[in-house]
Amino acid sequence: MLPAVSMKGVTKAFGSTLAVDDVSFEISPGRVHALMGENGAGKSTLMKMLAGVHRPDSGEIRIAGQVVTFADPRQALAAGISTVFQELSLLPNLTIAENMFLGKEIVGQFGIPVRAAMTARTSDALAELGMTIDPNTLVSELSIAERQFVEIAHGIKADAQVFILDEPTAALNAADVEVLNAQIRKLKAAGKAIIYISHRMDEIFAMCDDVTVMKDGRHVSTQPLNTLTPDALIALMVGRDLEDLFPCRATNLGHVVLSCRDLVLPAGTEPLSFDLHAGEILGIAGLEGQGQSEIVRSFIGQVPGTHGALSVNNTPVKLPLARQVGVRSMQRQRVGFVPEDRKEEGLLLGAPISENIGISLQSARPGFKPLIRLRETVIRIMKEMRVKAESPNMPVGALSGGNQQKVLLGRYLASDMDILIIEEPTRGVDIGAKAEIYRLLRDLAEQGKAIIVLSRETVELIGLCDNILVVHDRKIVAKMLGCEATEHAILNAALKT
Amino acid sequence: MASFLKSASRIPPAYFVFAALLATLWLTKPQLMNLNVMGIFIRQVAPLGILVLGQMLVMRVRSIDLSGAGVLLLINYLIASGLLGDMPLTLIIILSLAIGCAVGLFNGYLVAMRRVSAVIATLAVTVIITGFVQFLASGKPPGNMPELMNDIYKMKLGPIPLPVIVWTVLTMTMAVFLSRFVYGRFVMAVGENPTASHFSGVPVERTVLVAHVLAGFFAGVAAIVQSASVAVGSLRLGLEMPIDAVAATILGGVVFGRGDGGVWGPFFGVMCFALLFVVMTSFGVPEPGKQIARGLIILLAAVFYGLNTRKS
Repeated sequence: MLPAVSMKGVTKAFGSTLAVDDVSFEISPGRVHALMGENGAGKSTLMKMLAGVHRPDSGEIRIAGQVVTFADPRQALAAGISTVFQELSLLPNLTIAENMFLGKEIVGQFGIPVRAAMTARTSDALAELGMTIDPNTLVSELSIAERQFVEIAHGIKADAQVFILDEPTAALNAADVEVLNAQIRKLKAAGKAIIYISHRMDEIFAMCDDVTVMKDGRHVSTQPLNTLTPDALIALMVGRDLEDLFPCRATNLGHVVLSCRDLVLPAGTEPLSFDLHAGEILGIAGLEGQGQSEIVRSFIGQVPGTHGALSVNNTPVKLPLARQVGVRSMQRQRVGFVPEDRKEEGLLLGAPISENIGISLQSARPGFKPLIRLRETVIRIMKEMRVKAESPNMPVGALSGGNQQKVLLGRYLASDMDILIIEEPTRGVDIGAKAEIYRLLRDLAEQGKAIIVLSRETVELIGLCDNILVVHDRKIVAKMLGCEATEHAILNAALKT
Repeated sequence: MASFLKSASRIPPAYFVFAALLATLWLTKPQLMNLNVMGIFIRQVAPLGILVLGQMLVMRVRSIDLSGAGVLLLINYLIASGLLGDMPLTLIIILSLAIGCAVGLFNGYLVAMRRVSAVIATLAVTVIITGFVQFLASGKPPGNMPELMNDIYKMKLGPIPLPVIVWTVLTMTMAVFLSRFVYGRFVMAVGENPTASHFSGVPVERTVLVAHVLAGFFAGVAAIVQSASVAVGSLRLGLEMPIDAVAATILGGVVFGRGDGGVWGPFFGVMCFALLFVVMTSFGVPEPGKQIARGLIILLAAVFYGLNTRKS
């Protein structure tokens, strides 16, 4: 029998980073195939190529033996590939039926859409999933689980042969997961091929027939799941040598500079507490979207509805802070927040390097005061950070990712913050710049500063941090010393449900 | 060559248009090229020029202010109607500026704090004020402007009319304020990227609010100068002024969020309007023709705005 999907030697680069490097992948009809790997292993990129979101740089994709190239997701759906992505693609202000037939409305005379026909066919597709929702319900009124079912129903209606489920259960509770799993079994029985991306081990072993493991954009192994144990699978996902990138760690930590007590994030979770010491680099690890960034963003007023007590250098800060003043009031307490999304939240891309470095220092002053002279500071920071640029007047958008990141960090170095909270210190940064950033952060810690680091790269946290907190479902599920932590242990703790 | 074109495209079109108009005038009507004649023409656009200072500011922080029309109408009516009685000129000026600032504060509150669409909010404010003025005016047609105001309006320092000096001084003040003071950096940062500004510690909402208050203040100044320029009050001040102000600002290289033209780009944008009227008057173009030409300038500005946003 022909495989439902066969990808051969597929490669995709974004800029200078190879997201997917010469990967081959096959799935037969009637199989559920798990795709596993750490965050950033290239799973989602691989699937997005199959779903027509990205186009491969090289390699070929065959569907039922036919070579295909998709210009957009709609063509992929027409060829029988249905995708349920983590970030859902339904339009919230349209009804279920309108979403289902978006761009392919059934039209009668004079091109007028026939609502009744579309409603009836939507009803049928939903009924196949055992759902009895009115097709005229607005998508915005549905729960996340229901929206995912609607996406799957969309695929059923389009008579898709291949279903890609990208972490479909991440937002579901146990009961909904059961309903979803029942649907998956039905699809499987109907001879559909299902590609299943999930971080939940129990689900993988309960639902899937085969597994393909990816790491750093490469294919590691494909085998039937019944030949593997969960531990062996984790070992496959991790298996990498620790590069010799990291400077040594702190020998002794100072007093507590930031203490977080009974922080309750909005979704009604258990309170969590932790301390940060002078001279410490504290890592927060966990799988994608388990609340890591909500924890640190609640410190700057970006997460409404949080409660808890924060104390910075023994000054109490009552949470929640107002959104408009959070960043500023924390900067007054000498706490700098370095956002992950450098282009959207971090840098003023069109403005010169000097302005980007100086803006926090300037904005600590009232608007009617004259600017302070920062030329020397900017030049010193650029030198310390080894920013490669012709002059401080170059727009920051013209720099490479690594240099942009250095400018962003340089801003908080210039304003001499005591505590730095850094989301993804090395996102989209090449290996050389990474090592420089690690050394810089360690230097800062040695000067007595305290740093909280969030990262998707477990290796980075292990190499860099003195202590690591592992977060799962907005709870701290494990705390380990950086020097004792292993990728295996962190992944194991993070996968625990 | 490519880099030359690139840097040339960052020069606001106002300078090219201004140079072209000036050359036309020089070649065809050299007798008009003297300071006295030009001064009178430029004096006419001084209220617009002052209004543009505010428009430029709000556009740089990605907002817009169309309430200038309302402020102009209200102050114009208050001064001309005699409702203020025999109020001394200083008080009239203070009251006008206070009205401008109050309207600006209201706009700023809506746009910055309540996140209302700036076009809709400021347009609605104009509509409300227009209605209010019509209510005040029922049975009380606007009367004459105080003669003192008109006398001051006609004063000159050497060959240069006083309103032009006021406009130039305000523009220079603004240029210094934006380039040498912290608030200027806030404006630059918010225009460049409000989210990133917020995360850098820039008080984004306050910056937008203050920009609107300043725009209201400049509308107040513009209203005083405009009122002084006419002998009789009017109830028919339309939306032309704020639209012209938007056009001049864009011609001056300031588009939403980008301040390539600085403060002087929009200044020359307004000068283009002045020269255009000189050129057309000297060629004997009648009023409807001038109206069409004004529309064409606004279109030119809109096209330039489209080009500029596509580039970025």
